[in-house]
Amino acid sequence: MKRTRILKLSIMSASALTLIACERSQEVGIFESLEQCSNQSIFSKEECSKSERLARSEHIRVSPKYISVTDCERDFGEDKCEMAPQRTTTGGSVFMPMMMGYMMGSMLTGGRGMMPQPLYRSMDDLKNFRTGDNQKVSSKSGITRVAKGLTRTPSTKTRTIRRGGFGAAARSVGTRFSTAGKFRRFGGFRSFGG
Amino acid sequence: MRRQIIKEREDWKSQADSLGFNFHSMYGAAYWFEAACYRFTLRQIEDDIEDPCNELEQMCFEIVDQAIQKEEMLLKLSIPENFWDYIRNSWINKEKNLYGRFDLSYNGKSPAKLLEYNADTPTALYESAVFQWIWLEQAIQANIIPSGCDQFNSLHERLVEALKNFGINSKLHLTSCKGYAEDEATVRYLEECAIQAGIETNFIYLEDIGQDDSGVLVDLDDEDISALFKLYPWEWLVKDEFSAGVRNTEIQVIEPAWKMILSNKGLLALLWDNFENHPNLLPAFFPQDRRAADFTKGYVKKPLFSREGANVEIFSCDGLRDSVGGPYGEEGYILQALEPLPVFQSNHTVVGAWMVASQASGLCLREDDTPITKDTSRFVPHVILD
Repeated sequence: MKRTRILKLSIMSASALTLIACERSQEVGIFESLEQCSNQSIFSKEECSKSERLARSEHIRVSPKYISVTDCERDFGEDKCEMAPQRTTTGGSVFMPMMMGYMMGSMLTGGRGMMPQPLYRSMDDLKNFRTGDNQKVSSKSGITRVAKGLTRTPSTKTRTIRRGGFGAAARSVGTRFSTAGKFRRFGGFRSFGG
Repeated sequence: MRRQIIKEREDWKSQADSLGFNFHSMYGAAYWFEAACYRFTLRQIEDDIEDPCNELEQMCFEIVDQAIQKEEMLLKLSIPENFWDYIRNSWINKEKNLYGRFDLSYNGKSPAKLLEYNADTPTALYESAVFQWIWLEQAIQANIIPSGCDQFNSLHERLVEALKNFGINSKLHLTSCKGYAEDEATVRYLEECAIQAGIETNFIYLEDIGQDDSGVLVDLDDEDISALFKLYPWEWLVKDEFSAGVRNTEIQVIEPAWKMILSNKGLLALLWDNFENHPNLLPAFFPQDRRAADFTKGYVKKPLFSREGANVEIFSCDGLRDSVGGPYGEEGYILQALEPLPVFQSNHTVVGAWMVASQASGLCLREDDTPITKDTSRFVPHVILD
């Protein structure tokens, strides 16, 4: 595909809008817990527990990482972060959000199967599950269809810490000046464009 | 490459309005035009447009490399001397660039020829990235076009990705001038992309930007501006009263200052000088160059800083044929061999190829009843279908 897969608009449009390029969707299971998975009939109990285990190990690899628990909690909420097994290059602690669920596909469908992956909920959008790559998946758990692109394996999040990985953590660095009234203005503009 | 007459979606105007694309009609005529579309093969897109544009971008970088070391080149480009060091530093420090648009003359058969590079303030981005994309999805659903259609348009994904890579960890201010809906829509759209890249943003009209006693630029809350996206030409900015506030402070500007070398029509002459006979270039010269006398099929006179076709004059062998008025030209001009735009069903069509973070990422097609593309030329969507 030579075009964008998912197009999201929130400030441009009259109402927030998410459009998904009409690519193939895939049936997946989204579960908050192993127990929830075991209570449905599409996936077997064995598939549920195997997928949950795989998602937990993926969680360590793909979850966003922080060097401060405060930064992590700002994005994911109080008591929603945990220590990651990784260490910074200087030996410091690394934090990551807790896994809030997982997404799995059927293992019986052969080549169309997918690697199970962990799901998260960020503070600025609590009702939706998101992937480790901050892609919005769904607000509901259970058996559902999602765009095929969402079932791709998320990238590894290294110890290089980048803030604001989920939701924009407000972080203003501006220094206030008390020079109101002294400002001059740009002036004399023409129309332009290219 | 073909132009095909198709049905319009019935509700496209109301959709455009609700999506903030409120300049879909300008000066009483449709700017967005979907009663036709252009159809390309994947090979045409990849071999004739995508790859050549990526190559052109690398050639442009070579020109920047040379220009920052040669004062006579900066002089030829009419770049003010007090900005030379600033431009050099922006290049040496590898300041990232966000986007640009190559305008090409391409007919689907012969190599695309570079007409100009809108490297600094290209507009038509929103309609390319969003409205054209939505059109494709809906036109497929409405059976207006076949379901196998694709589009060369990964602009949205690439813009968000590129903005993430800027590493902006302060607030990004975005600015355009008051009273220009088209410019503002482009900036608002980039703000949307920046937000999706996890960047905190603040839109401010250029006129509202302040400066404190030490030269620091500030927003309406008197907060420092440390990163600024400006949809405002560098060559105007350098002449503004506050320009020192950009030059003498640590402010990160997008596009970076080195784009001044590329957004200048003099680039076309410098490219030809360095890569003579490259299949995607047209002969182009500064007016004092004797080789300019050898144009056999006519030429086009382009002011160094012209935008939206303003002040461009076409001279064919039988004398002056077409021109557009405007405010540009004092700064000098170049002469470029005439390569008339291909005509599809009486429309003169220019292919715009979008570059995001120096990677070819999408297309926009503009057509006009006359040979010069202007700000009122129609925007026509495209599809890829083999």
